[in-house]
Amino acid sequence: MDHLSGPPGLNAPLAIAVDGLDLSFDGSSKVLSDVSLHIRQGEFVSLVGPSGCGKTTLLNLAVGLVPHTGKGSIHLAGAVPVQGNPQVGYMLARDSLMPWKTALGNAMFGMQVRGVPRAQAEERARAMLQEVGLAGFENALPKALSHGMRQRVALARTFAMGSSLLLMDEPFGALDAQTKLQLEDLLLRLCQQHQQSVLFVTHDLSEAVAVSDRVVVMTSRPGRILADIAIDLPRPRSIRALQKDPHFHELYAQLWTHLESGWSKHEG
Amino acid sequence: MKAEKLRWSGAHLLFIAVMLALGEWLTANRWLDPTFVGQPSGVIKFLWNNIATGKLWVDMGWTMAGTLISFTLGSVAAITVGLLFVAFPKVEKFLDPYLNAMNVMPRIALAPLFILWFGLGLGSKIAVGCSLTFFIVLSSTVAGIRGVSQDHVTLCKTLGASAVTTFFQVTLPGAVPVIFSGLRLGLIYALLGVIGAEIIASEKGLGQSLSYLGSTFEVNGVMALLLVLALLGVSVVRTMTWLEKRLLHWQ
Repeated sequence: MDHLSGPPGLNAPLAIAVDGLDLSFDGSSKVLSDVSLHIRQGEFVSLVGPSGCGKTTLLNLAVGLVPHTGKGSIHLAGAVPVQGNPQVGYMLARDSLMPWKTALGNAMFGMQVRGVPRAQAEERARAMLQEVGLAGFENALPKALSHGMRQRVALARTFAMGSSLLLMDEPFGALDAQTKLQLEDLLLRLCQQHQQSVLFVTHDLSEAVAVSDRVVVMTSRPGRILADIAIDLPRPRSIRALQKDPHFHELYAQLWTHLESGWSKHEG
Repeated sequence: MKAEKLRWSGAHLLFIAVMLALGEWLTANRWLDPTFVGQPSGVIKFLWNNIATGKLWVDMGWTMAGTLISFTLGSVAAITVGLLFVAFPKVEKFLDPYLNAMNVMPRIALAPLFILWFGLGLGSKIAVGCSLTFFIVLSSTVAGIRGVSQDHVTLCKTLGASAVTTFFQVTLPGAVPVIFSGLRLGLIYALLGVIGAEIIASEKGLGQSLSYLGSTFEVNGVMALLLVLALLGVSVVRTMTWLEKRLLHWQ
């Protein structure tokens, strides 16, 4: 597999190194088979593939929610995954905001659990809320916010922690099409600003092309890596401009072909 | 809004006045026998006398004291045991059949035993009230904690939160709405238990007066106390609703 693509320098240290990884639950059905994936620091990599292909499992392995038992290895910045690694931020599909906390309280939550002093956490949370376009909503409770706004608060919570690696599991999967585009734009801006490494799970191909430096296509169960495609669209990007960019559509079509070949091999 | 509210209150007052007048008229003309159903004027007179002599306040005080003490003891014990069950599921699994058997048993049947053990005073009333409150609050505590959003728990895990942080930041606040609905029901059942025990055998309390008045064919007095109990129940529920609104304004 060729990983030598994408904007960050070839010699940038690895944020995630997965090598020859196998995983099976209860020793019988194989979930992941011989998965190798390297993500350099500052790189944005999307994982796409049919549901149940083990994308989320790979993410859960990285965040330490699923223990690794089997062949191969997985390392984050050279260390094996552990729960609560301060260098790792995790974001779920659902906003998982605490309904009893205000937007500000929710944006502060991650930092507070990780021991950032209150005053500092509040200052950073306020700045982040402003950055995600929620200035003036600091004291609003989640029930008063729309889905899109809630996911913005979740983005603020994730980015405010300042982790160098972000793992995102379909963070916009539950949003309507329009809101999704707005939040993808926001994510592009945030990543441009904060320069984290991101492993992004999605099943939306156009989303994957729009936000990533590389898109990794997986096959259905057991999940194997089928293709690793460099997205050589210049940054900074805007979702709006991309819609009119022929190269964007070429890459999209290319991805589709790979995804389809994965289906025909396993389900045809 | 205000005018609308006033109109509703007016309608209710009118309705009550008409019902009272109708009752008075039916009983005065002997269409209905006041010996069995009482008479509105008699009920009012009874209430007036008992408020004046202070007898009603004393009875109400004993009943409310019993209710509040059994509610407090029962809920504290239930929440403690509930937390224990969540922390040690095996304990719950083992105790489940016994608790189930106790829970389905009509608890008021324990009253004779409790009266034997704790006497005719407040103790036996508290025991019956507790036995009702405990199981209701216990099951809502366990259900509330089990029902806490798994997303929140996962988030805490990935953040590396300690068990204590997760409990106080996520589990407890998330479980409060369900626990609270159990507490509301628990309070009503505490009142039921105390009144029931007072009716069976007591020296004081609204239940004891009710039982005495009934056995001496003082129907006006029985009706008056039933009215007092209904009002008491309503105010208990209202208080809980008010508290819930203040504590759970985020819902």
